[in-house]
Amino acid sequence: MKRKLTLFGAVLALSIMSFAFTSIQQPKPWPVPEKNAKMANPVKSNGESIAAGKALWNLHCASCHGKKGLGDGSKAAQLKTTPQDMSKADLQSQSDGSIYYKIAEGRDDMPSFKKKIPESEDIWNLVVFIRTLKK
Amino acid sequence: MKTRRKYSQYMPGLAKVCLLLICCFALNGVMAQDSTQTPMVKKKSYVKNTFDGNYIIDNQTVMVPIKGTFEFDIQHRFGTVNNGFSDLFGIFAGANMKLGFSYTPITNLQLGFDATNENMQVDWNLKYALLKQTKSNSMPVSVTFFGNAVMDTRKKDATTVFVTTADRFSYFYQIIIARKFSDKVSLQVSPSVSHFNDLLGYLDADGNPKPILKNDNFSISASGKFQVSDGFSVIANYDQPLTQNPANNPHPNLSLGIEMRTSGHDFEVFFGNYSSLMPQINNVFNQNDYKKREFLVGFNISRLWNF
Repeated sequence: MKRKLTLFGAVLALSIMSFAFTSIQQPKPWPVPEKNAKMANPVKSNGESIAAGKALWNLHCASCHGKKGLGDGSKAAQLKTTPQDMSKADLQSQSDGSIYYKIAEGRDDMPSFKKKIPESEDIWNLVVFIRTLKK
Repeated sequence: MKTRRKYSQYMPGLAKVCLLLICCFALNGVMAQDSTQTPMVKKKSYVKNTFDGNYIIDNQTVMVPIKGTFEFDIQHRFGTVNNGFSDLFGIFAGANMKLGFSYTPITNLQLGFDATNENMQVDWNLKYALLKQTKSNSMPVSVTFFGNAVMDTRKKDATTVFVTTADRFSYFYQIIIARKFSDKVSLQVSPSVSHFNDLLGYLDADGNPKPILKNDNFSISASGKFQVSDGFSVIANYDQPLTQNPANNPHPNLSLGIEMRTSGHDFEVFFGNYSSLMPQINNVFNQNDYKKREFLVGFNISRLWNF
């Protein structure tokens, strides 16, 4: 009985210590230059632009961000930073220009796509598709 | 006894490459002038992703990567499946392998270098997009030129036929004409010519050297892609040699496979008859016959970086 109590105490102590050293990972602020944030999307949301954006999303983004943008792609677990849930207000409240800037420039685990997707129209298509992920 | 017969005097390979390149650039120049003469015309919007990568099984696709793309290719062709489990359907029979490197320094032009273990061949290649299909259909097809110069780098011995360095060279020129019919279906047709500076011959009864294969062989290929979903396609390829040689006519190639593409990778796995990794070797020397079910497994892996 005494041994069981000791074991229980040790497990409890370890659990408390593990919580004590755990910090909740807060996303780092990602400032976007005002000029970029204010850029309007020249591409209208319609079937064609959504389809084009979806094709790009599946090719370049889904492996980390997940097919539905929930941040649950097959590579997400290997990243140092957690991919943002694109369906939530945190992302959807940002301007089109801000989303465009972040796709084009990248940061940390998020690569820059301005060379891989060289035509700005394609990145705007991607922004149009990201808007459809809103829940 | 094998005798050598040279035909290089009929077709100086390098001169032909230069002539073709001049034609390509000249044609593009004419197009560029046209576009500058009509500055009010709205910017052309080109059809994208006719194919997913540089290769479709044994052929080049019409695609030229985005400027600044560096591509590394690893390709394998295993043995024929005919031996069954004894060599696991050719997988353990030994493989022809190729490592390829290519870069797109300017828009529409790709330069590459490959090395294969088959006869220790290396090649230098060039791919140039002459025309691009437009979304408005004002240009209904994309047209690309592909050319290479292959050098057999084996040491001279009793099995090789080299006397001069030029004897080691062969060339391949191809015009690739493609159309993306829909988001699902793309097709291309590619006429080509393969030229060998030096080929084995034989001595006839009078002791005169005779050729087995002609130095210039024409071929045509048809390739297609059916996109099942974003990043996953079924691909097929058919190559038909056209030139009638005195003997050892090459057999056509029939191949079918799947292609998977991600942001930085392209992976193809397939069955086919062509066992080599240099197009002119396949188009002139292939003796695998699909009627005898002499198929083999192969794969192409591409890794892309953008600089």
